[in-house]
Amino acid sequence: MVHHAFTRRCLVAGAVCLALVAGRGDADAADTVRVAFGDIATVETLNFLTALERAREKGLDIETTFFKSEDIAAQAVVGGQADIGVGTPYALIQKVRAPIRMFFQMSTLQFYPVVDAAAYQDWKDLDGEEIAVHSRGSGTEAIMLLMAKRNGIEYGRVSYVPGSEVRAGALLQGNIKASIVDSANRRLLDEKAPGKFKTLEVTDVEATDEALYANTDFLEGNKEAVDTLMDALLATWRELNDDPKVVAEWREKYNLLPDLPEDLEGEILPYFEEAVEAGVFPDNGGSEEAARTDLEFYGLAGQLEGDPKGLKVEDFWTFDPLNRALKRLGQG
Amino acid sequence: MAARTARAAHAGVGAAGRRLRKDGTLAWQAASVLAVMLAWEIAGRIPINYAFPPFLAVLRAFVEMVLDGSLVRAFLVTLVPLVLGVLFSTVVGVGAGVLMGLRRGVEWVAAPVFIVLQAAPVAAIIPLVTFVYGIGLAAKTVAVILLALPVIALNAYKAVRNVNPSLVAMCRSFLGTRRQTVQKVILPDASPVIFAGLRLGVGAGFVGVILAELLITPTGVGDLITYHRSVANYAEMYATILTIVVVSALCLNGLQRIEARLFRPERREGT
Repeated sequence: MVHHAFTRRCLVAGAVCLALVAGRGDADAADTVRVAFGDIATVETLNFLTALERAREKGLDIETTFFKSEDIAAQAVVGGQADIGVGTPYALIQKVRAPIRMFFQMSTLQFYPVVDAAAYQDWKDLDGEEIAVHSRGSGTEAIMLLMAKRNGIEYGRVSYVPGSEVRAGALLQGNIKASIVDSANRRLLDEKAPGKFKTLEVTDVEATDEALYANTDFLEGNKEAVDTLMDALLATWRELNDDPKVVAEWREKYNLLPDLPEDLEGEILPYFEEAVEAGVFPDNGGSEEAARTDLEFYGLAGQLEGDPKGLKVEDFWTFDPLNRALKRLGQG
Repeated sequence: MAARTARAAHAGVGAAGRRLRKDGTLAWQAASVLAVMLAWEIAGRIPINYAFPPFLAVLRAFVEMVLDGSLVRAFLVTLVPLVLGVLFSTVVGVGAGVLMGLRRGVEWVAAPVFIVLQAAPVAAIIPLVTFVYGIGLAAKTVAVILLALPVIALNAYKAVRNVNPSLVAMCRSFLGTRRQTVQKVILPDASPVIFAGLRLGVGAGFVGVILAELLITPTGVGDLITYHRSVANYAEMYATILTIVVVSALCLNGLQRIEARLFRPERREGT
């Protein structure tokens, strides 16, 4: 009998504890903005990390999680385990009608088609030849396909080798002769084998590389938090575009990526100088026009289905937070 | 005469009982599969997650992928490293296992290697394989071997080590040579466990090849899973995953039947 009473008391106490913990969890979730990255933090995310630090300074409680890939980060946002995601979840929004919208264009795609100069000289030479890109349906594949279309050529075989650094390694070893890499690895190729590789020109490809997106409910229900973040983002992006050297100061001030190896430290300035010059970081956080370009580009990449002209920008983007921020800060 | 009739009657009752039992089991198995499908369909229709499609959508995606040939093509690509890896693991694993069982010296040298390999978290090691073997077929075959070889080798080793000692003693008392003891007593007696190890090795090989295709470069089944996930074709993604699970299960089941037929007459159906 005594035992029973004791067990019951234990159960009740346990239930009360659980209720308290659960209640606390909810309260926390509402106050904290949980940001889901689709990759580990690298040199290329320094500007975003800075913007997050600045939003923190304004009193926003931000929690960051780094996922293995963009689609897992997107799942976290769709499933409610994260509030804001980083990536371009066009396919997810279209195919499963997830109630998420992109609201800030962080960067445009900047990739460099590189060929072995001994084998090829320009786009026409790649007709019927093998190329290597990141993965099926990726931005790198879309750029290569777009350029093939524009140059009236067709590749012989497209192989998939994930990771710019892996493709750069394969180019150096001679396993592949034509590929597409990011700016860090293009510089690496120039350093390791000067003159051996040629970068083919890519014109008029301005699709979004990374954007911020969130559940529509979150954007509606947390306007103040979103506004704080948007202000920090726009200000940071504009300062960066004015002077890319400032990134080193930010890194020191906010102690970002403190464990970065020395050789990667040397990558910071060249990357941001090159990217700013190429216009990778938009001053005004994207636009309807940019989104429309995306629809066409990601249609070609196989991420979006149907005629791009029939797709509506508002099904993928919301510009309310951006318009509010531009009203406060003015056009850049 | 009477005795023969009784025996026949008994046999008849036995056969009918077995049929009934067999039918009953089948019905239960079918019911369990149906229950899972139904639960899946309901969960997909609620839906429990935007990325979780109903079972019927997955089935439709499966049919489409079979008809357009993409699933078959993917399996043919995936089978190459799987078959190569399992064949290598079988030859080397059984050979090494038997030697380890027969000779202390080999056991001391080789057993720790296989035990460490079996205990290692292979998913963490597979990306390292690319540093040595690149990103092609060789790396994927090595991934299969990493998972399949230790299981096969250690099973063969234990099988030989646990051979019935009275059989070995009998062979010796009949003045059997060492070679005769191994050929006529040890290997036949160890075969069932060696074969069970092979079955486990094939199962591990399936895990290895899919891990390799997801972690190294996306080809075959791994490519289908990665691609359909990246473009949010979740029905196709689940169809691919389900197919590889079913193929693996059928393969293991087939091996189990062969094992029962060859080595375990008492478990053979209909006897």
